[in-house]
Amino acid sequence: MKFLCVPCDQPMKLVSKSGPDEGSMSLVYGCDACGYEAAMLTNAFETQLVASLGVKIGKSGADGGESKCPFTGMVQDGTQTEAGAPEGVTWTDGAIARLESIPSFIRPMAKNGIEKFAREHGYVEVDENVLAEARSHFGM
Amino acid sequence: MKTYHDITGDGGSNVLEQVAEQQALTERALSGVRWMLAIGSGKGGVGKSTMTLHLAALLQARGHRIAVLDADLNGPTQARLAGMGAVPFVPSDSGLALPRSPGGLGVVSLGAAVPETEAVQFDSVAKGDSHTWRATREFTLLGELLRTVEWGELDCLLIDLPPGAERTFQFAEFLGRRTAFVLVTIPSELSRGIVGRSAAALADTPNPVLGYIENMSGYYCADCGDLKPLFPASGEVGWDLPCLGRVPFDPGLAALCDRGESLERLPDSAAVRALGPIADELLGRLRALEEKP
Repeated sequence: MKFLCVPCDQPMKLVSKSGPDEGSMSLVYGCDACGYEAAMLTNAFETQLVASLGVKIGKSGADGGESKCPFTGMVQDGTQTEAGAPEGVTWTDGAIARLESIPSFIRPMAKNGIEKFAREHGYVEVDENVLAEARSHFGM
Repeated sequence: MKTYHDITGDGGSNVLEQVAEQQALTERALSGVRWMLAIGSGKGGVGKSTMTLHLAALLQARGHRIAVLDADLNGPTQARLAGMGAVPFVPSDSGLALPRSPGGLGVVSLGAAVPETEAVQFDSVAKGDSHTWRATREFTLLGELLRTVEWGELDCLLIDLPPGAERTFQFAEFLGRRTAFVLVTIPSELSRGIVGRSAAALADTPNPVLGYIENMSGYYCADCGDLKPLFPASGEVGWDLPCLGRVPFDPGLAALCDRGESLERLPDSAAVRALGPIADELLGRLRALEEKP
């Protein structure tokens, strides 16, 4: 979608964005030539459809309606530990960076599986060495 | 007044550029894959997943570097078929390490991470009415997997498609023109009708369709040993595609699939014996594609 300032016959540019707020995003476009501004207000369906493309509105990288991790519920279930097992494991910054390089929707699945591996092998901290060991263990 | 096409760029939302970048990254991630082969049908329950996994294993046994992508996000079965159990997704140095079955086959399937007692759910700001956006979301997630998994150098990436006649056409567009297709049917008029629709849809795409496999083509009578029909369908199929082979029904194969075991456990199965020539036929046709101008 593009925005045109009709009096100036010039394309308008994204000035600001906010939301989603109750599913609605507000995108303000402005004309450099005359200063006129217009806001596009999306409904939840429109917001979700754009988010479903896996894109973000604008180049700033701010959340432009990107869906939350879809498996949050499963993460909460999966992180319940067995009685007597360590409370959980911590992650180093390097390991977290690796985790964040994979698709967001499988991140909690990966996190749960790696933490299970770590606990089973006596690790209380997941670092890049533990990740490498997990890959080797599972034949990857 | 300027029109849409008179304006360069989109004023800053950058949506189209991001979509184009996704496609470019996907192409780059798959640049080491020699052949892309989608196993589809349109009809559910004909054995697409079974054919995909076991043909992949046979191609691997013939010395090729093979991986499988389970594109049926809502009904993933490849992890079970491959006997993978709970193999977690693990980040690699630059993406996602390719999960491996006990037999060494690369298999990417949500079935390894989502318990069979749970449905695949997606978060959304549009509560309810998922029919308006879910298909888009699923294709985006498949794109992320294609871009992120470290496929490495593969001879063939087999993609197990979900059921639905419209899906074969959608996946042809999504995967790109270099992806070849094989359709799986069973000898029932109902299945042939649906698969015929998929074949017709694919005929309108630039994607090569290598042929079809007729699964459950009959069963061997335990008393007399004759091959008898499971379905009453007779006559020719309604599409102009070569038959790559016919696989008789074998309850032993079905049980093996449920247990996620290798075909090597059923060396005397007629169904298993039928798959070998089909794998060879596929290899020949994939090689022939490379020779075409």
